[in-house]
Amino acid sequence: MTQEYIIGIANFIARYLSYMLGAGVHTSRVVRNSKRIGTALGVDVSIHTSQKTATLTVSDHDGQVFSTKVVDIPAFPISFEWNADLSALSWAAHDEKLSLEAIEHKFDEIISKPRMNPIFVLFMASLANASFCRLFGGDIWAMLITFTATMVGFFTRQHLTRRKVNHYIVFIVSAFVASICASTALALGIETAEIALATSVLYLVPGVPLINGLIDITDGHIQIGISRFVNAFMLIICIAIGMSVTLMLVKDSLL
Amino acid sequence: MEEIFWNSIADYNAATWPWQIVLMSIAAVLTLILRFRPAPWAKTAMKIYMVAVSLWIAFVYYMAYGSVRDYSNVMTIFWCLIALSWLYDLATGFSTFQRSGKSEVWGIIMLVLPLAYPFISISRGLVFPQITTPMLPSSVALYMLGMLMAFNRKINFFAFLLVLHWSVIAISKIGIFKIPEDALLAAACIPSMVIFVLHALKAGDQQHKPSYTVVRMLVIAVALVLAGCMVAA
Repeated sequence: MTQEYIIGIANFIARYLSYMLGAGVHTSRVVRNSKRIGTALGVDVSIHTSQKTATLTVSDHDGQVFSTKVVDIPAFPISFEWNADLSALSWAAHDEKLSLEAIEHKFDEIISKPRMNPIFVLFMASLANASFCRLFGGDIWAMLITFTATMVGFFTRQHLTRRKVNHYIVFIVSAFVASICASTALALGIETAEIALATSVLYLVPGVPLINGLIDITDGHIQIGISRFVNAFMLIICIAIGMSVTLMLVKDSLL
Repeated sequence: MEEIFWNSIADYNAATWPWQIVLMSIAAVLTLILRFRPAPWAKTAMKIYMVAVSLWIAFVYYMAYGSVRDYSNVMTIFWCLIALSWLYDLATGFSTFQRSGKSEVWGIIMLVLPLAYPFISISRGLVFPQITTPMLPSSVALYMLGMLMAFNRKINFFAFLLVLHWSVIAISKIGIFKIPEDALLAAACIPSMVIFVLHALKAGDQQHKPSYTVVRMLVIAVALVLAGCMVAA
């Protein structure tokens, strides 16, 4: 086994795991899949992950030829599709004994698939929030107001994210905008106005980082698990700040 | 609640009708300039006008004359948010106020519709000052929507979404405050949502999923639900 071959595998697995971690896959699955690809290619893979970077060493079974790489983890949107397809790729590599070139080709195909339409996501997130409003007991007017309030907040989030604004600021501003729009229900005297106000920011709740943090900790990846938990709690605090500003202005009548 | 609502409108109209005429005249002049002799200064002036008229609704209508209503401060903040969306547009050039040739007739109809508000009120037997005018929140929102529709090459999507939100409020007000005039805004806003979103979908240069057809069906379905709610109101 040559050094070039090992370096080639290390480069690919570094790319593979950075895409998986960036797309919101929990650590043990990333490690398992990467090791599976390594096994399919006849090498050993050792991985250390943190919130922003990952380190991996690829070596032959004797440990005589090896390559170590440190990669940055890019911040991609959460993608369950990448999660499923890239996991399936590791099984395909293992079961079908694919070559490195074939695996790379399939990987490039997966990551170049078209992304979700942002307008479609905008509508679906708004519908989801309106449904939450109904689940919590909101009436039809509260649901409608939650729907459009979420649209405004979610569009604000999309727009600021495109402009590469710090994501904590994005969360504060989006939570404020969505909740202030939803608070207009109070002025109409709708009985379930407070449900509209409470559910208008639910689209911001960082569910995936929270679940991943828990899974990582229970799987023994304590460091990255805590990092993900802290990150998720920071985002929850940002939502609370945005909503608190609205409540201070509206319910405490600061104006 | 209904009586307080109509009394506050009467107080507002009685005290501010000369200013309302001035603001409407400025809107008419700027609209005609943008339509027949578009110039960069006119686009900037229109955005400044949008900021000013939003702040007028926020502070004069809601804060000064609507303060007797519950949670009028919420509406003040909301209209400040609309003003902020136009201010942001002014600073970043988010929209261009250029005609695209699409849906222009629809836009012109919407620009004229705010003028119908007082006539509808009078036809219902209401008497000045207790009537709706083109300088009330819903008619101003309708005028904004008309401007976005008539000059829709690149629109201020923030302002549009806020007006869409306002139209949902308007739909609920039809029943709560017995103000059927607001049906004009609701009726105009729902087709506008479909038109703007479909324009934005077609304008997107990247490959996305699901297909255009699926997203179009979703948008039309949402529009039908909103229309159903309006009819129910």
